Amino acid sequence: MKYVFRASVLAFIGYVVGIWLTVAIRGGSPTDEVAVVFGFILALIGWLGGIGGIEAFGRQWMGKKPKTSPEKGWTRYFEFSIDHKVIGIQYGVTFISVLLIGGIGAMLMRIELASAGQGILDLDDFNKVVSMHGILMVAVAVAGILGAFGNYIIPIQVGAADMAFPRLNALAFWLVPPVAIGLLGAPFLGSFNAGWTAYAPLSVTNDSGQILFNLAIITFGLSSILGGINVLVTVITMRAPGMTWGRLPIFTWAGVAASLLSFCVTQFFAAALILVTMDRVAGTAFFGPDVGTGLLYEHIFWFYSHPAVYIMVLPGFGVILELVPTFARKPLFAYKAAVIGMLTIVGLSVVVWAHHMFTSGMADFLHGPFMILTEAISIPTGLVFLSIIGTLWMGRLWFRTPLLLAFGWLFNFLIGGITGIFLADVATDIHLHDTYYVVAHFHYTIVGGSIFGLLAAAFYWFPKITGRMYNERLGQIFAVWVTVMFNFTFIPLFWVGINGMNRRVGDYPEAFEGANRFASISALILGASFLLFVGNLVYSAIKGPKAGPNPWNSRTLEWQISSPPPQHNFTSQPRIVGHPYDYGVEGSRYVVFDEPGSSVSDAPEEVHA
Amino acid sequence: MKKSWIPVFLLWLLFTVLGLLLVMNTTVLPAQYSEEAEVIDEAYELLEALAVPVMALIFAIMVWGAISWRSRGADREDGPPQRTSKAVVGVWLVVTISLAVGVLINPGFVGLAAVRGEPVSDYVVQLEGSQFFWEVTYPNGESALDELVVPVHKRVRYDVHSTDVLHSFWVPAFRTKIDAVPGLTTQVYITATHTGGMEDDVNLRIQCAELCGAGHAQMAMPVRVVEEAEWLAYIEGLGSDG
Amino acid sequence: MTTDIAPDPAVEESHDDHGEYHQDMTFQPRANRIGLWMFIFSECFLFAAFLSARYYSTGTFRPEELNQLLALILTMVLLVSSISAYLAEVSIKYNHRRNFKLFTIVTILLGFVFLAGVVVELTEAIHHYPPGTPYGTSYFMLIGLHAFHVVSGIGALFIVLFLGFRGHFGSSDYWGVEGVVKYWHFVDLAWVIIYPTLYLF
Ligand code: HEA
Ligand code: HEA
Ligand code: CUA
Ligand SMILES: [Cu+2]
Repeated sequence: MKYVFRASVLAFIGYVVGIWLTVAIRGGSPTDEVAVVFGFILALIGWLGGIGGIEAFGRQWMGKKPKTSPEKGWTRYFEFSIDHKVIGIQYGVTFISVLLIGGIGAMLMRIELASAGQGILDLDDFNKVVSMHGILMVAVAVAGILGAFGNYIIPIQVGAADMAFPRLNALAFWLVPPVAIGLLGAPFLGSFNAGWTAYAPLSVTNDSGQILFNLAIITFGLSSILGGINVLVTVITMRAPGMTWGRLPIFTWAGVAASLLSFCVTQFFAAALILVTMDRVAGTAFFGPDVGTGLLYEHIFWFYSHPAVYIMVLPGFGVILELVPTFARKPLFAYKAAVIGMLTIVGLSVVVWAHHMFTSGMADFLHGPFMILTEAISIPTGLVFLSIIGTLWMGRLWFRTPLLLAFGWLFNFLIGGITGIFLADVATDIHLHDTYYVVAHFHYTIVGGSIFGLLAAAFYWFPKITGRMYNERLGQIFAVWVTVMFNFTFIPLFWVGINGMNRRVGDYPEAFEGANRFASISALILGASFLLFVGNLVYSAIKGPKAGPNPWNSRTLEWQISSPPPQHNFTSQPRIVGHPYDYGVEGSRYVVFDEPGSSVSDAPEEVHA
Repeated sequence: MKKSWIPVFLLWLLFTVLGLLLVMNTTVLPAQYSEEAEVIDEAYELLEALAVPVMALIFAIMVWGAISWRSRGADREDGPPQRTSKAVVGVWLVVTISLAVGVLINPGFVGLAAVRGEPVSDYVVQLEGSQFFWEVTYPNGESALDELVVPVHKRVRYDVHSTDVLHSFWVPAFRTKIDAVPGLTTQVYITATHTGGMEDDVNLRIQCAELCGAGHAQMAMPVRVVEEAEWLAYIEGLGSDG
Repeated sequence: MTTDIAPDPAVEESHDDHGEYHQDMTFQPRANRIGLWMFIFSECFLFAAFLSARYYSTGTFRPEELNQLLALILTMVLLVSSISAYLAEVSIKYNHRRNFKLFTIVTILLGFVFLAGVVVELTEAIHHYPPGTPYGTSYFMLIGLHAFHVVSGIGALFIVLFLGFRGHFGSSDYWGVEGVVKYWHFVDLAWVIIYPTLYLF
């Protein structure tokens, strides 16, 4: 707590000094964007230094031994802890909170949209709420699973004691709170109303809140890049003996795939926003009304943001692929095909960006190639689907909450993916672009693919992380509730989209009122389900029954150690001797511990089919 | 081992038939007022029909799985230890690739060519988007801010530009859409097929479809499709008013 | 930036006070190298984005007023600094502490010369093609972005130099130097692409 306090004070001082210096040197008012930029940068430096950067990096630069926060006690969750498990929990709690805040924005929007005409929000405020909801949720989807479970689970799954760069890992996490504060503080400067896409030139000419959006997202990008590099290097260099690439758990593979994308393309979002920021504060003219570069922003932006949707969904694939074998008690079907599928998605996703621009006025000859490449992505995605249904096929399905959510995931993401094909087709996209059809499509893919993955992961790994069991009955009620109400909310939105309702509008023709009202009521019931989710997990984390090391009888490494895992993950060296998902394969073993007896639990018993 | 194929197959057939019936007997698409709309609707319906069997397959497996493969949990036993099957993966790849290629050819390229059509037009109309209104300039140089009037059965080229930020020219009943980009002129061809106005169908309106600021939602304008003679009289009349 | 990826005594330390199990730390040097390369690779994308913005908005247009001579000199300066940086790295590898310090200082000085040149360049540019013009926009952004990297490179070199004077680094432990020098090479390489983009094509 002491460090959070110190960091806040230093951040505040940095902000004030930045603004004061700018005003002193160039004059103007303290809310000028130039002042805000310098204020933000100094505040960020102050924050990172205060939270522990001084001890962890500064000391080393001064030639002393670096110090990081202690390894025990609850206060380490508020400090610069370099334990990947602590960082995973920090990410998890942060992003669930952001999800709830973004969800409150969604509720506001749905209330406004429950009837035609203007209700609780005026048109501009509506756009601001949309933009805030969009960007907060995108942040959750991009880094939620990877930040929380990627950090917590991946090092254990590969048999490592920590990440390759623990201090960098902590730095990447502590970059996130300033992002949230920057975004949520934007309303003080007039907020931003250009959507999460922040298309120029609107984002060059709108209120000053946009500048905070830009700075926050550039910071967030830095955090994702550092996080991505860390995951990759960890998996490349720290695998336990015997852990060949072909024995890597599938969730780790998914993390690798997503990290590959995030550390390469995130730069482009930052670049696009830097250009916008410079146009706003430094007098450059990339996107002015008279410059013929209207599409430049869109190209740079989508070069990141299309791959970003796969950064969101690949970890979701990973979670579902990981837990389905456990609950179906079967080997993961076509493991290799699933891995190749995910890596192919990584490759293809950087060459499809212009499918967001079929109506943007870009050159005609680009439409055909981008349509081909976009539809090609359905083939590797299909392999992931094949792997999932092939694993379910004739399995012994154990319908615990994670598997129920996996079924929900399958249902939702299928609808999202198939409607993606409708959008990838130029002819239909010309009509559907920027309508609620797109809104429904991406909620089915992001919420259906990424958030459902996050929820399933939360239940699946809950006993491992807390050492306690959540309430199964409530979990199952939640799983059904959230799946059903999610569909009730977004199915009608496909219809209104096709029928001529565009997105990002606080008002619409009366003809669409019925469907919208239905969606709004469903959305409120959907929102309420999250109270059950949070309530169940928070209560169980404190009061739940002890779970034991391996309640699901899983085979991967994280389940072979105590719950919660010991300080340095393993008490003896694990060695990998088989394939992770050989459930029911006679005599198969996955892991042995080199000092027999010292491990908490041995490889699970083999039960014959 | 074999016994699941039959029920899943039957379920798949059932879902496919039900789905196709549903798709064929409901119209989710709004009223058509242009030739382009006919192309796009046809493409949409074809995609729907193709999507049905794909989705039906996954749903069939999910439903049958939930019914017949569930285990109690108390006596946890393992399922068949099958790791993969080259044949299944191969068949799956062949089917999905041919589906994807099929979709690419029709409606993909067929639809693309049809929507785009020949770059010839009977008239050229200029449209200029600004925060937050549209200005229409007709071939005779007269302009209007209150409505867009379109001659029926004539191929009209719209030259779209913007004076400030991105906007998008979209008439849902025509199905076509093109962004108004500052610094560029974008073009779209539309041939209206029926006469009518916004009182006949709400979708006979220009709706700005690119977020452009506070007034984005209200950046709409009625569209009226009339006979060519009436249209010519209308655009002449614009001059005499001003 | 690069010193962040230095070996992490904190971890080793924390393992020492628990006797049971050690993660084998031999992975660390390899991890550092791979991590640095990834970071550099990722930076390339940032430059790629800005470079594509330049080509997208102004093609290969270039005004007459460019100070070709100055730019050529700056390019030479930066290239020479890469050599001195390399010599610094080699020196410490063979434990020539004096040469190591000397070449690091030379590199830093050359970096400052470069920066001074950039300032001259920009003050001239602001009259002929200010940031509001299409070419000026790309020009100021690319030069600015690169200068920012030079500044952070110099900062890192300073830290290395300071630590060198405090007696750190040696033939068995020079990752800090190596990392910073690699980063410096990268900054040079970026210039080698930016220079023709702005001045030659
Ligand atoms: C997690 C996020 C995610 C995911 C995974 C996807 C997946 C896909 N998306 Fe989506 N998309 C978004 C998030 C996502 N999208 C967002 C956020 C936007 C809007 C951004 C904005 O404007 O604000 C968007 C917008 C968007 C557009 C632009 C629409 C427009 O604005 O005009 C398009 C167009 O091509 C598109 C297509 C696709 C396709 C083809 C896929 C494919 O990857 C889907 C592949 C999956 C399947 C096809 C199903 C499974 C496959 C099988 C069962 C095999 C058999 C099937 C076939 C052979 C067809 N998406
Ligand atoms: C991860 C991504 C994600 C998630 C989870 C969601 C979740 C939801 N979204 Fe959103 N959405 C986006 C990403 C996401 N969205 C994006 C990217 C956009 C585009 C923005 C743009 O156009 O720029 C968008 C836009 C968008 C629109 C379109 C607005 C417009 O274009 O005009 C709508 C409208 O219905 C909507 C609705 C919803 C609803 C009802 C939910 C529901 O699923 C929400 C469920 C509810 C909760 C998750 C929280 C409930 C919490 C409470 C009830 C309070 C409890 C509080 C405590 C316990 C403290 N979203
Ligand atoms: Cu104009 Cu939206
Ligand atoms: Cu996309």
